[in-house]
Amino acid sequence: MLSTETIYFVLFTTGLAVGFGHCIGMCGPIVVSLSLSLKGRSVLVPHLLYNGGRITTYGLLGGVMGATGSFTRVVASIASLQKGVMIFTGILIVVMGLAMAGWVPLGAIFGDYYNPQGVLSRGFRKLSEARSTGTYYPLGMLLGLLPCGPVYTALLAAARAGMETQSTLEGLLIGVGLMLSFGLGTVVALLLIAKLADLGWLKRRDVIYKISSVLMVIVGVYFVIRAFRY
Amino acid sequence: MQANVKVRLFAAVFTLIMLPVCPTSSSGKSEPPGVECDVHAGPCRAHISGTKVSLDIEPKPVKAMHDLTFTVTFEGEKPVAAPYIDLGMPGMNMGRNRVILKPAGELIYRGEGVIVRCPSGRRTWKAKVTVPDVGSVEFVFDVIY
Repeated sequence: MLSTETIYFVLFTTGLAVGFGHCIGMCGPIVVSLSLSLKGRSVLVPHLLYNGGRITTYGLLGGVMGATGSFTRVVASIASLQKGVMIFTGILIVVMGLAMAGWVPLGAIFGDYYNPQGVLSRGFRKLSEARSTGTYYPLGMLLGLLPCGPVYTALLAAARAGMETQSTLEGLLIGVGLMLSFGLGTVVALLLIAKLADLGWLKRRDVIYKISSVLMVIVGVYFVIRAFRY
Repeated sequence: MQANVKVRLFAAVFTLIMLPVCPTSSSGKSEPPGVECDVHAGPCRAHISGTKVSLDIEPKPVKAMHDLTFTVTFEGEKPVAAPYIDLGMPGMNMGRNRVILKPAGELIYRGEGVIVRCPSGRRTWKAKVTVPDVGSVEFVFDVIY
């Protein structure tokens, strides 16, 4: 059995390793979409906030896992929420793709023409335009709920570590710490992707920009289909 | 920036966007084929350094995201140390998911674990049974989501 210190290190390196493999596949399209939607603004702070939000969610989930010591029960209770987040993410990527290329005005999609102050219209417009840098933190928190195999594995480790503690509080703290370690490991790869998608020449080329928009729409639709199959 | 560099960079971004559409191996390493078996029908059997070993997973059918009991049984000689199982997906790094096995009889070892679910929809998993200082064998099987 590994010591607690060793598990922290193992989860950090696991996060680092899966970050360059699995996470790029799952979160890559979201990160690329967010970078492109920034349209020339610095990507560093928004993406640090996005990753901060994502890791916060991991930490909270880890705390629950560590405190309860039950992986399957907690995961079963958030399954519907995760499905909803997947659908939301898919729609968000589609909307960002459409809005970015300027093919379809957001108002036409979400009824701004009739109700410009509608909650849905305003919400999607705010998220898709992401004018406020602060938006990226809650967005990261929400997207941290996306179902992901390696995240499940890390949560399983948090639940197991929690089972071996003497008190609920100790389990909670270890669970939070382990998931924060894992989350920090995944940040490196996602920040690199964010920077790659921010290359200046990409944004100056309209054709490439529009091709990226088409790909975002395809990926968004795929996310929604996958959510319904999940 | 040179034109060919631009093309390469665009290809990189294109690949990143399309990755979830085409989930494939993330490790890049070629792995030895495991012993394929139908874990829902009964125990999977193979050899580790000449010793017969079987892996059984309960309850059946074997479902992801459920508490599972893993039983490894040896035939003949007792292993020098307790075996353990590493769960993962072929060609995909899912993080360290180790099932610690404890003696449950003369030649029987048992432990609890969970096979997590991959949102990509892939259902093929592998259980690598390792006997320290002796060897290991991989069982490859499909699980139910």
